[in-house]
Amino acid sequence: MAGSALRRLMAEYKQLTLDPPEGIAAGPISEDNFFEWEALIAGPEGTCFEGGVFPARLVFPPDYPLSPPKMKFTCDMFHPNIFADGRVCISILHAPGDDPMGYELSAERWSPVQSVEKILLSVVSMLAEPNDESGANVDAAIMWRERRDEFNRIAQRLVRKTLGLSA
Amino acid sequence: MQLLISSVCMALTSAVIGNAYYQKQQFYPAVVYITKSNASMAVIYIQFFVIVFMFGKLLRKIFLGTLRAAEFEHLLERFWYALTETCLAFTVFRDDFNPRFVALFTVLLFLKSFHWLAEERVDFMERSPVLGWLFHIRVGSLLTMLGILDYVLLMHAYNSTLVRGPTVQLVFGFEYAILLTVIASTAIKYVLHAAEMRTDTPWENKAVFLLYTELVIGLIKVVLYLLFVVIMAKIYALPMFVFRPMFFTIRNFRKALNDVIMSRRAIRNMNTLYPDATPEELRQSDNICIICREDMVNHSKKLPCGHIFHTTCLRSWFQRQQTCPTCRLNILRTPTINSTVIPRAAEEPANAAAAAAAPAGVQPAAGADGTMGINPAAAGAPDAGQPHPNGPAIRNPAVPNFADILAEANNLRNEMSNRGGIPPPPMISPFMMQPPFGYFAPPIVPPPPMPQDLNAFSEDELRAMEGNLRTHIEERIKMLRNISIMVDSANILMQQYQGIIARLPPPMQVVPPNPDATAAPASAPSGAAAGAAPAPPGVAAPDPVSASTPVCDKPSTSRAATTVAKPHEGQVNSVAISSPVANASEKVTIEDLGAEEDLNPSTDAASVDVDSEDSSELSELRKRRLKFLEERNKSPTATIDKSD
Repeated sequence: MAGSALRRLMAEYKQLTLDPPEGIAAGPISEDNFFEWEALIAGPEGTCFEGGVFPARLVFPPDYPLSPPKMKFTCDMFHPNIFADGRVCISILHAPGDDPMGYELSAERWSPVQSVEKILLSVVSMLAEPNDESGANVDAAIMWRERRDEFNRIAQRLVRKTLGLSA
Repeated sequence: MQLLISSVCMALTSAVIGNAYYQKQQFYPAVVYITKSNASMAVIYIQFFVIVFMFGKLLRKIFLGTLRAAEFEHLLERFWYALTETCLAFTVFRDDFNPRFVALFTVLLFLKSFHWLAEERVDFMERSPVLGWLFHIRVGSLLTMLGILDYVLLMHAYNSTLVRGPTVQLVFGFEYAILLTVIASTAIKYVLHAAEMRTDTPWENKAVFLLYTELVIGLIKVVLYLLFVVIMAKIYALPMFVFRPMFFTIRNFRKALNDVIMSRRAIRNMNTLYPDATPEELRQSDNICIICREDMVNHSKKLPCGHIFHTTCLRSWFQRQQTCPTCRLNILRTPTINSTVIPRAAEEPANAAAAAAAPAGVQPAAGADGTMGINPAAAGAPDAGQPHPNGPAIRNPAVPNFADILAEANNLRNEMSNRGGIPPPPMISPFMMQPPFGYFAPPIVPPPPMPQDLNAFSEDELRAMEGNLRTHIEERIKMLRNISIMVDSANILMQQYQGIIARLPPPMQVVPPNPDATAAPASAPSGAAAGAAPAPPGVAAPDPVSASTPVCDKPSTSRAATTVAKPHEGQVNSVAISSPVANASEKVTIEDLGAEEDLNPSTDAASVDVDSEDSSELSELRKRRLKFLEERNKSPTATIDKSD
């Protein structure tokens, strides 16, 4: 019998494979290591990220699901809640103990009840509706708030880039 | 790159040796020539390191196979730290600096790297989906080899220190002792992981064993480091090079200690506060522990909010956070008096042996109602901001449905029998006895101590006791008369309650008029308890004070009545009389309630009928009860403070 973290990740993988939510695909990079996953997220329809397919990497801690995984986009992203290096900053990925931005309610933080699927769905909704109050990328947040056209143009360029089209 | 360096090194070495032979022609002069020449020696040293490196690679291939990227990264990081610390150590022992010394440090570093790798490998066991027999052989032999080497080198250092006094061997001895503890903890972890892998079910106590291993090893390490620093500071200088590892060791130890404390608290809370989930409850929920996503067959706990999890999953989560994983209800701040009420409810059915079904069912029901409905509201007053849990298993306390209460009572008793191991906390405090006593035994005639057995007394003693008997009986009859008046008034009150209920709008879930309530006081217990249950809906907002009164007072009142009754009757017909008394006293409780709520002026009218002494007694009683209830409301918070 393997460790509980591994069993839970296997269970989640199975569930995600059997019943994948729309616009999301995720699974371990290699079957030898269930603690590193790759995820593909389709940009939500009706937003500036529509049509894009964004690859991301999830790294799970050994004590998953007691601690949240880390998520990082492996493509270029320009979004108020994504750091310049691709790290995703949403409350669901933060353990209740640490609060990097100091404003999140504990009710929206990580708990063992959350899952990869819920994380990815939250990221999709984050793409659709950025939270410009938590500035992981302050430039993007300001642009989102004040110069929406420019933001949309950059997003469209990123979408084309992820699809392998020239900007 | 590595290949290039090693081949260049090889070439250089062969050039140096060839040159020496070419110049001196013989073995001995050639060796002397090489050792005399600094350049040649440098080449030889570099060759030595290259050989060590290659040897390391070979061993790694044998014992570990290919390293994972993460393993290699960690190894490199730790290696650089260790290297800088070694250089720092050189500064302390600059007088002893010679090739042998460097060689010893190289061996130490070499062994250390393998210890780290072994640690990483064993930690990885838990996360790896498939492990073949090769893995076990490799790890087993590596651990054995490292352990033996550590021991031999430690002994060597120890002996040399004994023989030659403190030298640089002190450092090595200490380092190998530390490495030995590392090997010990790694081996224990390996055994634990391997044992878990052999079984098909998760091993529940593994986490606890791991925690304690961590704690003990951490303690040993901290002690070792402190000893070493003290010894070194006395003999040489302050050993700067152990400060970094010492700092991390102490930090880890603190963390382990904290973990152990939190885990113990979590276990204690779970064992005492939360009931095991019954099979019915498991069937009602989807039967999957949402923490580990596996079926809950056994060992699951139900939290006050109604959510059910595996015991082990909950424990590991409570180590970090004292909240319900699903609804984030703060567990520690929610007093659960389930465990305290249950034992009392257990006594109740036993008392009401003959009256069986109705009272036995109803009385614990009232208790259950008080527990479920009131605790979060009344006792949790300080954290009123807490979102109220709305689990499916919890009813809204504002609407106590009678059928629900009955079902709840049955559940409660089931749980009770399931959790037999927990000793019932002492709930019958002298304070609880006091109010009824104050009423039934006026200070003028203090009741004599209850005799154990009348046969044990002599004729004279019996007569002496008889002397008071007559007055006592008269007193009793008077009191019983008063009580019957109060019973009647309570009946009136009950009818008024029912009138109010009948007048309420239909959406309110109303208990249909209870035949028991209108019946004669003979069936009083059921009527009283049933009356207590629907009373709260009648009063729009159930006052915690009023609702909890029946819970805490009923058993004690009846018991007190029984105790008072016995000595007075000389045990002749005490049984026959004491039960109506008990019933009546319950009635009194309800009547009091009505008076407290000021619901109905007729209560006062009824009380006026009772003679003036009694009404003053009653008001006294009310005051005491109010005080008692205040105390009671305070007390759960007090216990929480303690548990914090």
